[in-house]
Amino acid sequence: MPRLEALSEAQRKMLLNWPCPDNDDTPWTTMGKPLSESKVAMVTTSGIHLRKDAPFRSLKGGDTSYRIIPRDSDPADIIQSHTSIGFDRTTSYRDINISFPVDRLEELVQSGYIGELSNNYYSYMGAINDVTGLMEDSGPEVATKLLSEEVDVVLLVPT
Amino acid sequence: MGLVTTGLVLIEEHAKRVKPPRMLSVPFNFGNTLGRPNDPEFQHEILRTTFDLLDRQEGPVLESFSPDIAPELFSQGSGVAREESPVVSDPGQEVDLRRPFYERWVQQNHGRTAVGVSTISQTDFKLVIKFLEDFTENEESDTPIRPNQFSVAHFIRYCVDDLKAYYFESKMSEDPELSITQLHEWLWAETALGSLIMRLAERMRSDDNNEVKAVAFGIAR
Repeated sequence: MPRLEALSEAQRKMLLNWPCPDNDDTPWTTMGKPLSESKVAMVTTSGIHLRKDAPFRSLKGGDTSYRIIPRDSDPADIIQSHTSIGFDRTTSYRDINISFPVDRLEELVQSGYIGELSNNYYSYMGAINDVTGLMEDSGPEVATKLLSEEVDVVLLVPT
Repeated sequence: MGLVTTGLVLIEEHAKRVKPPRMLSVPFNFGNTLGRPNDPEFQHEILRTTFDLLDRQEGPVLESFSPDIAPELFSQGSGVAREESPVVSDPGQEVDLRRPFYERWVQQNHGRTAVGVSTISQTDFKLVIKFLEDFTENEESDTPIRPNQFSVAHFIRYCVDDLKAYYFESKMSEDPELSITQLHEWLWAETALGSLIMRLAERMRSDDNNEVKAVAFGIAR
């Protein structure tokens, strides 16, 4: 994590008091087969999307919608509309893999570490402080899509 | 049957509360989840450590990536002292001066650019600057260049994001060695755009419209 003590007091306080769910337990699924035989998908919360898609919005509670990013998308067609002055975006200008490691995943397939990749990846906004829409609608919707694509493993990458 | 998940987390405190099944806590700053740009070897090390968590039989698993590296922090506009005599004081003129560097960036990066959320072409950014100045100083409330699908507040936000991306990419093309800290300090201390964004955010924070107020916090502090 970014060392909280190194952040400004306002940012540290905001992060410590962030209204994320306090869960009592963890849903658990054990690997059914080796990673080298599994299909992997990626879900990012970096708020990226295709140029033709509607950008994410600054809404009360956060924007819980999602966008589909086909795996074969040209990186030049991908942009980011995550709203925050709290994170640096210049590194993602230099290298999309910094928060959306598309090239790294392809390399892991080529080396045989991962079996295969799903045809679609999924993108949400970060900084959601009311997760109701995520828990009840857009989360289950993406999970259903992932299952219908016969995905075994999902890699979650924030920004 | 179900989906098996593993992932990265930036705020360990949040993972302790949410309790996702498998998480690798990384010591990097927001926006830098895989540690270092253009360093495939290091990024692979992080990803492999994340995928290794899949072998665990029970959870929640929350491990820390080591070594613990101090992230590079950067300044907000209010934390930077502005140059008393900036090289260019007119942001409209400045946008034109940055264009050759920006276009070189796009060429060097095979067409990839973070500019485009507002849908306004970078060749029309002078019109965007004119609107932002009028909105800030002359009580102008809208512009004919705004696409219908965006509210005024969101259009302003997307324009500011595009202008920041245009400036940063042009600067990284001009001086590839600049650090994150130096890039942010340059924008806020030395550019006419940085000054305009600060005044714009102040104007928006005092607006009666809640959406305008909310957007103000996303563009500068």
